[in-house]
Formats: sequence, structure tokens, C-alpha cells
Amino acid sequence: MSTPPAPAQSPSQTTQGKSKFSVFTIEECPACGQKTKRAFQVGDYITKDGAKCTKCGNTTRMTLIYAEPTVKAK
Amino acid sequence: MPTLANMTLQLGTDFNSILNIVWLLSFFVFIVYGQRIQIYIVANDISRALNRLKLMKDKSRKEAVDYFVASGKTTADPAAKIDEFLEYVTIMPVDLDPNGIVGKIEHITQTRDERVRSEVKRILPGAEPVKVSVAENILEIASSLNMIHKIVRHYYLLGKKTNSYILLVQLQMIMPQVLLEADALINAVDTFKLGQPVGDGIGPIIASKYMYGLPKQTVAKDTVMSVTEYKGRTLYVLKAEGPMGYVGEPGIGIQKVIEEMKIPLNAIIMVDAALKLEGEKTGDVAEGIGAAIGGIGTDKFRIEQVSSAHKVPVYAILVKQSILEAITVMRKDITDASDKVHKLIGDLIEEQTKEGDKVLLAGIGNSLGVGQ
Ligand SMILES: [Zn+2]
Repeated sequence: MSTPPAPAQSPSQTTQGKSKFSVFTIEECPACGQKTKRAFQVGDYITKDGAKCTKCGNTTRMTLIYAEPTVKAK
Repeated sequence: MPTLANMTLQLGTDFNSILNIVWLLSFFVFIVYGQRIQIYIVANDISRALNRLKLMKDKSRKEAVDYFVASGKTTADPAAKIDEFLEYVTIMPVDLDPNGIVGKIEHITQTRDERVRSEVKRILPGAEPVKVSVAENILEIASSLNMIHKIVRHYYLLGKKTNSYILLVQLQMIMPQVLLEADALINAVDTFKLGQPVGDGIGPIIASKYMYGLPKQTVAKDTVMSVTEYKGRTLYVLKAEGPMGYVGEPGIGIQKVIEEMKIPLNAIIMVDAALKLEGEKTGDVAEGIGAAIGGIGTDKFRIEQVSSAHKVPVYAILVKQSILEAITVMRKDITDASDKVHKLIGDLIEEQTKEGDKVLLAGIGNSLGVGQ
């Protein structure tokens, strides 16, 4: 994907009704099974190749994208 | 015993009696004008809800225009084209003679979808398929909100014009549900804009797990299929093509597999999102029999027809969610159901079929943000 539409807020933050959600992408390494959870970025989709695995250097795969209710830090 | 003269004297001087008269008068007013007053209150209530609907409608239209503008070079001013779209009507076929009506409905909806896509492509020449599909989805949301606002406004004005208490009260009673649905639609715009999977995408997510890395063939418009193996059975896995926001035509796809490709299926397993009842938990998994697919009914009809003609049992696995959750970003509660769904699929295949059988697994739903 080239130029994404400029979102008003970060693409990994979303508000649904009264609750706020953070959207995450899970990258899974097919070789060693390591899972990395990071904030969603525009252009991510399930089965897309992700970053290199930090453990064994294989290309990871995005296996899941989901939203969790945001827990306030303070 | 008080005389009459005595009584009038008392009325004239006693403050309490004046209050009494006012009270009696108001009683009279309420009896005669009660309904008018209620109409006024109810109409006020609806008018407030109508204003909210109008805000939502305008917001979705603006979002659609912004999306087109932000998505690169547009050929002309997209706003004028979008306004045209919002007023687009689909005329359903006559149902006096219902024989063969499903084919007609299918033809009409296909023509409409085709038309919308070609128009979007014209406004956004050279845009990637994902963007085109997102634009189609946002346009659909905007036109739904436009329609809801129009219909509510129609009954509101009609009720006021004819002073119909019953009409207004009925409208007032369904307003909370209408607003809930409109709210879900407006919230969905954000998810679609960003290309995030929606709750309805749980079916495609399940299917994509079996399809990853395998060759795909197109079996119907926007619908792809892969062939794999599961415990000695041949598994045909079908889903709408992602990561575009397509729902595909699984009905036509399954029919093609059985009738054109002549694959003697022993079972069809359909995984879909289903609307939960109030009180049910999001992500609850239900199992059942029958074609698990929503929409206008054409796909369901085809699947039922072809499966009954060829005596193929159809099993359904449903993941419960609310209307808001189904069209907004995928919740963790829903993805948490995946393991259970995969286990159910495995159990179904092992219990209901034997080695060497052919099983079709269909992941039904919008495949936005879900590749294969
Ligand atoms: Zn690794």
C-alpha cells in the first residue's frame, strides 16, 4: 500500500461508542513460533509478511489483528 | 349546615379553593388536549433523534468524500459523484409470482455491485483493489445512513402532518434500535478506512489458516479456494479474496465446486459470525445444521439448493457478536474463539466423515484485512 489516508489519530487507537480500544498486530515466526505483539499499522493484514524474527532471523507472518480495551496507564 | 351563600363566600376567600379550581381546570385540559400534548412531547423526542441521524449521515458522507480525496488522484470532484450514489435506488423484482425470484434478485444485486465498483474505479483510476473495496464499503455505509435518515424523517413528518399519535409513538418506540444500528454504521467507517479486519471477518480468518501458502483458484467473483489435506480427507477451503473488503459469492462458489467441477462432497462446513442475543457473550461459539450465511438470501438459497439436490450435509459453526462488533474492528473476545472453532472443525470432520472423503470448509464474512 502506498499513501494511506491520513488518519485523524494513530491507526492503532480507536473509539467505539464510549470505550477506547488499542489495535494490535501479532507477528508469528513460522520457524521457532515466537509471537510478537505490536501496535497496528495501516497496511497490515493477516497472512502478510512481517519483520524478521528477533530470535532466529526468519521472516514472520501476521497471524492476528485484534482490538483490546485500552487500560489507562495511570 | 352551610348555606349556598356561605359556600361562595368561602370560595372567594380561601386560597386553597383557588388551587382546587386550577387543579380541576388542568384536569379538564389534560382530558381534552392530553393527546396533543403527548404528540408534542413524542415529536420533540423523535426530532432530537432525527438530528442525531442527520449528523451521522453528514459525517459518513464527509468521510466518504475525504477518503476519495485522500486516496490519490481523483478524476473529478468526488463529492458530486458521491451524492449521486447516495440517492441510488435498487428496484427489487416483482414478487407476485415468486417462482425464480432469487435469480432475479441475484442478478439485480450483482449489477448494482458491479456498477458501484466500476464507478469507484472511474473516480480512483489505478487505485489498488484494497482501496477500491474500502471505498465501496464506505459508500455503502454512507448510503445506508442516508436511507435510514430519509425513512425516519418521512414517518416523522407524516406523523406530524396527520397528527397521528399512533404513528409517532411507534416511531419513538423503535428509535433506540434505529440509533443503535446507525451508531454501529458510523463507527464502522473508521475500521474500514484503516483496512482493519472486522468482527464479521472471523470466518475468513479461520479459513485463511488452512489456505496460507497454497495455490488459490477463483471459483466465483471475489471468491478463492485452495485444496489441502486434513487427516486423510481432501479439504476444499473457500473464502472471499482478501485483504480486500469483499464478501464474495460463496453460494455460486460452492455450487460451482459441486456441479461444474463435479467434486462429490461428503460434507460442507460453514463458519460465520452470528448476531448474539442480548445477554449472550461475545465470542460464544454455537454449532448447528444449515447454511450459515447472512445477506439478502441469494447465497443461502444456492447453498441450500445444491446441497439438498446432492444430499450433502451442511454444518454450521457460529461465532456470536453484536451488530456493532460485527462491523467494527475485530475484538480479542472474538479472535479468542478461534481455537475452539478449529477444534470443532476437526471434531466435525473426524466424526462425520471418513478417510478419503471430500469436505468443503467455507469461511463466510467480510475479508477486509484478512489475506490467504
Ligand atoms: Zn523465529
